[in-house]
Amino acid sequence: MCAGSAQQILGADAAYVDSLIKKAGQKQLHQNRYWHILLHYKKTLTGCKSVIDDPRFFLARDGKHNPWAELEATLRAFFTTPDDPANPPLCRFIARYAWLKEQLGFDESKLPVASCRKFNQTMDVIRPKSAALIFPAAYMNNPASMFGHTFINIETETRSKLLSHAVNYSAFTTEKNGLVFALKGLSGSYKGYFSILPYYGKVQEYSDIDQRDIWEYRLNFNEAEVKKMVMHIWELQGIYSYYYFFDENCSYHILFLLEAGRPALHLTDRPNWWVIPIDTVRELEDAHAIASADYRPSRATKIRYTASFMDTQQQITAIGLSWGTVEPESVLRADIPAKAKAGMLDLAAEYLQYSYVKKELEKERYTALFLKLLTARSTLGTKAAPELSPPAPGDPEKGHASNRMGIGFGARKGDWFEELRLRPAYHTLIDHDAGYERGAQIQFMNMALRYYHEKETFELKSLDVIDIISLSPRDLLFKPFSWKAKTGFRQQLMPDGDNHLIYQLNTGGGFAYRSKQLGLYYGMVEGDLNLSGSFKENYALGIGASAGLKKNVTDRWTVFLEARSLYYGLGDEHKTYELTMKHSFALSAQRSLSWEVTRTRTFGIYETDAVFMCNLFF
Amino acid sequence: MKKIILALFICAVACNLAYAGAALKKNCGCGLGSILFENNEGLMSQTAAATTNGIFGNQTFGISSGTLECNQPQEFYGSLMLHRFVAENMDNLAKDISRGQGESLETLAILMNVPQQQRGEFSTKLQSNFGRIFTSPQVSEEEVVANIIAVTKTA
Repeated sequence: MCAGSAQQILGADAAYVDSLIKKAGQKQLHQNRYWHILLHYKKTLTGCKSVIDDPRFFLARDGKHNPWAELEATLRAFFTTPDDPANPPLCRFIARYAWLKEQLGFDESKLPVASCRKFNQTMDVIRPKSAALIFPAAYMNNPASMFGHTFINIETETRSKLLSHAVNYSAFTTEKNGLVFALKGLSGSYKGYFSILPYYGKVQEYSDIDQRDIWEYRLNFNEAEVKKMVMHIWELQGIYSYYYFFDENCSYHILFLLEAGRPALHLTDRPNWWVIPIDTVRELEDAHAIASADYRPSRATKIRYTASFMDTQQQITAIGLSWGTVEPESVLRADIPAKAKAGMLDLAAEYLQYSYVKKELEKERYTALFLKLLTARSTLGTKAAPELSPPAPGDPEKGHASNRMGIGFGARKGDWFEELRLRPAYHTLIDHDAGYERGAQIQFMNMALRYYHEKETFELKSLDVIDIISLSPRDLLFKPFSWKAKTGFRQQLMPDGDNHLIYQLNTGGGFAYRSKQLGLYYGMVEGDLNLSGSFKENYALGIGASAGLKKNVTDRWTVFLEARSLYYGLGDEHKTYELTMKHSFALSAQRSLSWEVTRTRTFGIYETDAVFMCNLFF
Repeated sequence: MKKIILALFICAVACNLAYAGAALKKNCGCGLGSILFENNEGLMSQTAAATTNGIFGNQTFGISSGTLECNQPQEFYGSLMLHRFVAENMDNLAKDISRGQGESLETLAILMNVPQQQRGEFSTKLQSNFGRIFTSPQVSEEEVVANIIAVTKTA
């Protein structure tokens, strides 16, 4: 049971350790919540189990499942002459040591090690004072990243934020194939480790390379709480757990660190089958653990903001500067205010960095152009500085919650129905978009059930297993691709004039633009595969086009219009035309009303479907 | 026509799957840090590669704060951090110096122990001497640090 029988506990000390173990048993320390936080134990049907998979994290052979055996082995190891004097168990597991010492009142003269030199040196360097939870927001053009990522910054008061220590939990792999990576990530085939990087590295990764805005939530942890957290991080160095994208992911493992700092927080107890990072932020907010929120715009956000103060000609000049087709000297010589010159040069430098990260130019060309732009800019002084700090958009944690439930009523072909909708995650184009990426939709397991009065039957209207739309507007500076992908079940009008449940796989791509009058508008080509026994040939496969727009008429009122036309040339040959209009009105952050009308013509038959819904987010 | 439709559809599905897969791999956030950076070696680029794969240990806390193994005085950590910060943030630092303001420049001032009340003057001085600090596109991190120190010492 113990770390090894060859190791020695001196005679008198053996009795002392036995007395400590007895005391620990009397105090039921192995049942204590803090012991369970430090060992990452979670309840199972038969007992408990640690979510840590690395055997090196446990001193008892059955430590992963047995809190008492682990506690006993830990106490014995602390008082045993260590195999590796430079790295004894009481220094490796310093948070356990600190807590057990506090609970049992160790006689430190009986310890085989006087102090933990490495740990103390590290603490002297880090000087942990405060901590922040960092949340990089959704990635432009990738709604899946709405799930985001969270990590913890350990800060020293007197230093710049950029020099904070960013504590991450992540899967380690060199897999290059996206699909393999996704599949393996879902099935827990990768080992996840904690790592620490300078925060500026993370800022470069998210802001400069991925173009994701970052939210920094300063926690109101005091110095002692932060120290407890750092001690627990120290214990986790080089320790792995198998990584699961949805539940045992980065955000989940980070929660144990927060609990180690402040055990009054109950973050890992929920029986959720997935952990959405922003929900972590919401829970911390509910537990009053967040002192303040800071917004760090990505490079793309800064570029857009700087460009919004310029006319088209100035933007074109800035692009020319970044391409090297316009000489910086010609801008310096121009008869315009210094601030306008600085604005164009600053925009050009940011845009050049953006292009380089996108691999649109070679390093030699980039460095030469970059230096030339900066040299010109440095002659304009500090007073010419243009506005470069975009204001913070709505706080993501204040946006609507991830689950949605709706009840409503409507009519199809004159038959009235009641409708119930349930959706565990996450956001649609017409949901109130405060705190969300505009133009992004991502839904999982969105289900709609109907009861028809005339027919007196229940019907599964639709079950969208996955439904993603990403509309990224194109402009002078950015040329993204918009796309959508959807799969699931839905009712389809058939030649018999009735609706039948079919399986659908739909995907498309195209371009989106934004204008002040129209809002966000787009056009896409798409492919659609329908499978059902109700088709004569069991399937229909078609291609077509769609165009639509999304407009925020007021802060609360959102309109969505779409027209689609599809030609199914394979399987049951037919054509489908569809017009959709949706209105949504947000009553509050968590409540909304919506009204949706669809007019369809398929197999030559017309059908109108209208529904009015009350929605609650929770 | 039928074959064309089928081919187009399969292509569209495959493209979007590949796109989404690549996006997921690169951007989904959770735990992808280890394969996120491409190795852009060289100093006038975002040298993020050096900071990846640092599994918590000597390498990591050590990375930003000196090597844990060696018993160097505090000043050495400071100097090591200054060099490392300049090396790994050179693009953003150059941009901030050209503007005479910014977070990287502020951080440089902190690492060089410039008192709060002298930071404005420090920034202006570096800005007006930009060409003496970033002497060429191939300038090294050591040269930049030496040039900055030289510039701040001139009256």
